[in-house]
Amino acid sequence: MDKRTELASADAIEAGFAELGYICSPKIATAVFLAAQLRKPVLVEGPPGVGKTELAKTAATLLELPLVRLQCYEGLDEAKALYEWKYGKQLLYTQVLKEKLGDLLDGAQGLAESVERLHQFGDVFYSEEFLEPRPLLQAMEQPHGAVLLIDEIDKSDHEFESLLLEILSDYQVSIPEIGTIKAKSTPLVFLTSNNTRDISDALKRRCLHLHIPFPSIDLEERILASRVPEVQDSLRQQLVAFVHAVRELDLKKQPAVSETIDWARSLLLLHATELEPELLQSTLNVLLKFEQDIETTEAELVSLLRSIKQAPDNH
Amino acid sequence: MQSSLLRFIEILRSHALPVSPAETLDAAAAMEVVGYSDRAMLRDTLAMTLAKSDREEHTFLYCFDQFFDQQAADFSAADAANEDNDSAQTGADAAATESNEAAPGGSGAGQAGAGSAVDDAAELAAAADGSPALKELLEGELLPALLENQRGTLSTAMRRAGQEAGLSKIRLFTQKGQYTRRILDSLGEDLIRDAVIELERLESPAIDTLRRYRDVLREQVRDFVEQQYLMNAEGHNSAFMDDILSKTRLSNIDRRHRERVQEQVRRMARRLASRHSARRRPVKRGQLNMGKTLRGGMAHDGILFKTHWRSRKRDKAQILAICDVSGSVAAYASFLLMFLYSLQDVLPRTRSFAFSSHLGEISDLFKEEPLERAIELANWRYGGATDYGSSFRDFARLALDDINSSTSVIILGDARNNRGDPELEIMQSIYQRSKQVIWLNPESRRAWGTGDSEMLRYQTACHYCAPCSNLQQLERVVDQLLKSLR
Repeated sequence: MDKRTELASADAIEAGFAELGYICSPKIATAVFLAAQLRKPVLVEGPPGVGKTELAKTAATLLELPLVRLQCYEGLDEAKALYEWKYGKQLLYTQVLKEKLGDLLDGAQGLAESVERLHQFGDVFYSEEFLEPRPLLQAMEQPHGAVLLIDEIDKSDHEFESLLLEILSDYQVSIPEIGTIKAKSTPLVFLTSNNTRDISDALKRRCLHLHIPFPSIDLEERILASRVPEVQDSLRQQLVAFVHAVRELDLKKQPAVSETIDWARSLLLLHATELEPELLQSTLNVLLKFEQDIETTEAELVSLLRSIKQAPDNH
Repeated sequence: MQSSLLRFIEILRSHALPVSPAETLDAAAAMEVVGYSDRAMLRDTLAMTLAKSDREEHTFLYCFDQFFDQQAADFSAADAANEDNDSAQTGADAAATESNEAAPGGSGAGQAGAGSAVDDAAELAAAADGSPALKELLEGELLPALLENQRGTLSTAMRRAGQEAGLSKIRLFTQKGQYTRRILDSLGEDLIRDAVIELERLESPAIDTLRRYRDVLREQVRDFVEQQYLMNAEGHNSAFMDDILSKTRLSNIDRRHRERVQEQVRRMARRLASRHSARRRPVKRGQLNMGKTLRGGMAHDGILFKTHWRSRKRDKAQILAICDVSGSVAAYASFLLMFLYSLQDVLPRTRSFAFSSHLGEISDLFKEEPLERAIELANWRYGGATDYGSSFRDFARLALDDINSSTSVIILGDARNNRGDPELEIMQSIYQRSKQVIWLNPESRRAWGTGDSEMLRYQTACHYCAPCSNLQQLERVVDQLLKSLR
């Protein structure tokens, strides 16, 4: 079991993350805690921009471990994800060693003896010196462990998922020419998915499943306070309330936490102290990424503003 | 706690949440790590190990609340009972009343007012002199526990008795009485019954008191059985219902089951899509895979005999689905449209058409409108008397040019053409151009070719024809279709 104090309990993780500016719900902290204790990968799902990738980065910073990141895309295969042989080096060495061959076989009688002699040298060309480690193998070779982030797994192919199974359940890689390479120290693995397609059951079964939804108003205010502390309290409340109201609308892409933060930064640059209709109209494009969505929101702008101005009175 | 976890997982499975043994082990290990003290944390932990998608998590939370709430209630009842005992010792009457009320089911004792338990005990003890049965009862465990309102002891005993009686196997509401009786018997209620009869014979004044305790006990057990019935049978019954529905002829399914069927159809489409989503295979073009080629060449002194390529080709399978919405298949049409809608949802390259006397494309309709409305509109726009001939002409005009060797055409209809021109030539040209033509007919094979059915003639221009009258057949056929699309 993991003895590191940073991961001693879910509360410790939550506090540690908060110090690094990543405000998370108890659920997220529990997931990281369990992942470390049970040595299981975490499959993180949720809409884009809720901090899935950030979670892995923060975990790496907290544990002071290297972050090994593998960005998935269509057509990603084992040569790019796992390992590859250094073909150039292999070729070069064979050419160079050709001359040595004569010396080696000097005095050998007949073919059988020559082959016998060559066998004594083993499979020099397929040894670890000629192995080019790719992210997955790199993560396993880190002496003190690592945080492995397999980003957007849903973008990769089915075959790649199957490739991951061995790594995720046993933390080992089988290379036909060498054998099995076991991880020096179990890495902490995060897989993220945007749910563009269903992940196979076999993969899901090996992971803890964590769904990060859009944060609650309270949590989002805390996140904003941590990320953009310069924003005044009153503006922050209005801002978060507005974003939450916008999420209720029927939009193509709902604004996520990262957009809220960007928006707060831009309002700060514009020296805003309160949400005004004109200001909103000119900065909506920071929050919303589709023309259609901006139009929908503009139509509702007045009623949205009224509702968030009323909300504080209710408290 | 292990056995609780197993029972909980059993319930999850009955709610169509597939929990594997490996996940059970994970959950048990995770519970060891987090402990049982923090309810929210325990819930999150189990959710992470047992529910592996957003949808499953909803089901999980529902089951969790149902299962553990009732247990939590019992634990708190036990606490209340302890408080009761403590406060009774200190003689604080007010506190005793309060906790008496707090303990569910304690109302029987509560009626007689605070401190009545002591009186009752004295009364019964006095009556016991003349009745050996009552005396025996008072020396046993059950009645003293009832008298002292030891909720913890009682509910544990009840739970154990329930387990012995196999209460978790309860499936039908008619079994409730039987299980209640069994639990009462194993708790030793028959002794109380005997004592009541004896007191009746003796005309003892204590009989009302004893009866009251007996009724409290019965009520408790009945509630417990009711609760267990709801929890254990609900999932099983709905799975049973789904099973029945999938085997019922689509035309016979009642309107009130529509939502259930809709959910089932959607699940089916999702299952099919995840099994058969687009595959990629290597092709001989594009970027050279230098590494692989070099490695392959090493055996030949570095001469690159065989080239390997990086590019892969995505199979672009396309489905064209044509659905008959005329009066003769009206009962089927709504289910078939429902299926098409779900299919298009998961396989975006599907194009859907609807027809009766003329044909039109409804892909956009399906894309933009919600299911109910889309089906209504499709029926309204294209419903009427069947004319396969003119519909095929419309189809040829709309889509014949788009049919190529990777296209599959599914036709859903009964092939009853009202003795019109069947336009077999168009069917044949579709047959020749496409990868496969599949005809799903809601009528059974025996009815094909009878009356105005043109099925036997159309059959000559299809790769595969199948009767399709219930959901099971539908799934089987479509699974086969998608398999062959690879």
